[in-house]
Amino acid sequence: MSLVVLSLLLLTAYFGEAPSGRLHGVQRAFLTVVSPIQDGANKALKPVRDLFGWFGDTLHAKSQRDALRKQNDQLRRQLVTNQAEKRSYRQLIALFHLDQLGVSNYRPVSATVVGKTPNIWYSTVTIDKGEAAGVRVNDPVINGEGLVGKVVQVASDGAQVDLITDSSVGVSARVGTSSATGILQPKVGEPNDLLLQYLPANSQVNAGEYVVTSGTVAPGGDDSLYPPGLPVGQVTSVNEESAYKSVNVHPIANLHNLDIVQVLTSGAGTRASNIAKLAVTLPAGQTPSTSATGEQLASTEAGG
Amino acid sequence: MSGAFNPALLARVAALSIVLVFFQIGVVSEVPVFGVNVDLSPLLVAFIGLLCGSMLGAVAGFAIGLLVDLTLLQTLGLTSLVFTLIGFWCGRLRELRDPQAALTPLLVGCAASAVSLVGYSLMEFMLGVDAPVSFELLRQIVLGIVVNTVVALPIWAIVRRALEGTLPEDPRRRRRRRAYTTGGLSPLSRA
Repeated sequence: MSLVVLSLLLLTAYFGEAPSGRLHGVQRAFLTVVSPIQDGANKALKPVRDLFGWFGDTLHAKSQRDALRKQNDQLRRQLVTNQAEKRSYRQLIALFHLDQLGVSNYRPVSATVVGKTPNIWYSTVTIDKGEAAGVRVNDPVINGEGLVGKVVQVASDGAQVDLITDSSVGVSARVGTSSATGILQPKVGEPNDLLLQYLPANSQVNAGEYVVTSGTVAPGGDDSLYPPGLPVGQVTSVNEESAYKSVNVHPIANLHNLDIVQVLTSGAGTRASNIAKLAVTLPAGQTPSTSATGEQLASTEAGG
Repeated sequence: MSGAFNPALLARVAALSIVLVFFQIGVVSEVPVFGVNVDLSPLLVAFIGLLCGSMLGAVAGFAIGLLVDLTLLQTLGLTSLVFTLIGFWCGRLRELRDPQAALTPLLVGCAASAVSLVGYSLMEFMLGVDAPVSFELLRQIVLGIVVNTVVALPIWAIVRRALEGTLPEDPRRRRRRRAYTTGGLSPLSRA
């Protein structure tokens, strides 16, 4: 009985306090202590994990091969089309110096995933790099496939990353080459899928198109947390609504099997300063998009 | 309640809990089965309760829950609350019924997983998570219970093997064994 009461007291105190509160601090301190242990255990148990993963991969290999063959054909056709567009795109980038806003402006820190929540209510992972490596709260996290999530808590040698399928994460994104941006959030009730909302009703979206981060710039420093052009997912279906269009998106990154990720830490004179510079160079009358404000609001609201 | 803890038993329970929780976080959570993750923690708590009684079951449940919440930076106390109840109820089952059937661990594992998943979901709803009771959510819960039930017997074998030799003697079981070996009569009365 006393343990139940103690649990309830802990729950109430934890839920009621701010993220900088004492119990959160205890959690961060605990993470600092166990992070090296987790890291060691993770390395030691990697062969076991790979063995389990091998069985799963073998089972899915055949269906994946067929799907990939179809995708390969489709991509080959797209490649031809994209060659011409790419040339024009590069010219535009050079014109507006937008290349300075890409991922190259961040200082990527490679990290190993040392823990993952087993339950369906949290989509978070723990990584083995923290404040000591320059990782900060809200830093974007990517892997070889695309955007994975963002850092939400940092200890000295470890950090917690909320994946893009976590209800607290919202990403400003656009579909393919379209300029219309929306907010990408986990689909309520379907934790492995995403929903790109608030696209203009007249925007052209087709199933199979890729969704990328828009990296929008907003006045007052409310710019997007994520650099532009990071692949996030692929459109699976489109929902027609009255005022806005929403799109179902399947994440590109395999969030179930994360091993190595990169945290895009911001060094001095990087994104924030570049955005300020860009704002000065924009032609008169061109106003930066305000979607990023929506993204941050979505993140804040969902994150409680 | 069986309150006789010996230090060797406590040490083994603690070591087993730490090893299995880190194995869960580092390996098992990374390997989805039919789109869901096997969760060894409620099985571990249930089997500690089933082998050691309600008191140690509840204490182990609280400690394992706290370890999970601390390590995964989850809402502190939530897993502890659910696991304390699971450990206590499984311990009471042993003390009141002492089930000996071969399928008992399977059923207990299934029930513990169900209580863990449903209880956790209810608590999340009460804490204000913005999610409706959708088909996908129910599917995940049901699949979670099924895959946990499948691994219940191996986990039972591991837990029993790890705690063997330090487990408390149950009075009901001792009485039953004596009745079986002596025909219910003491050697003195037969003499």
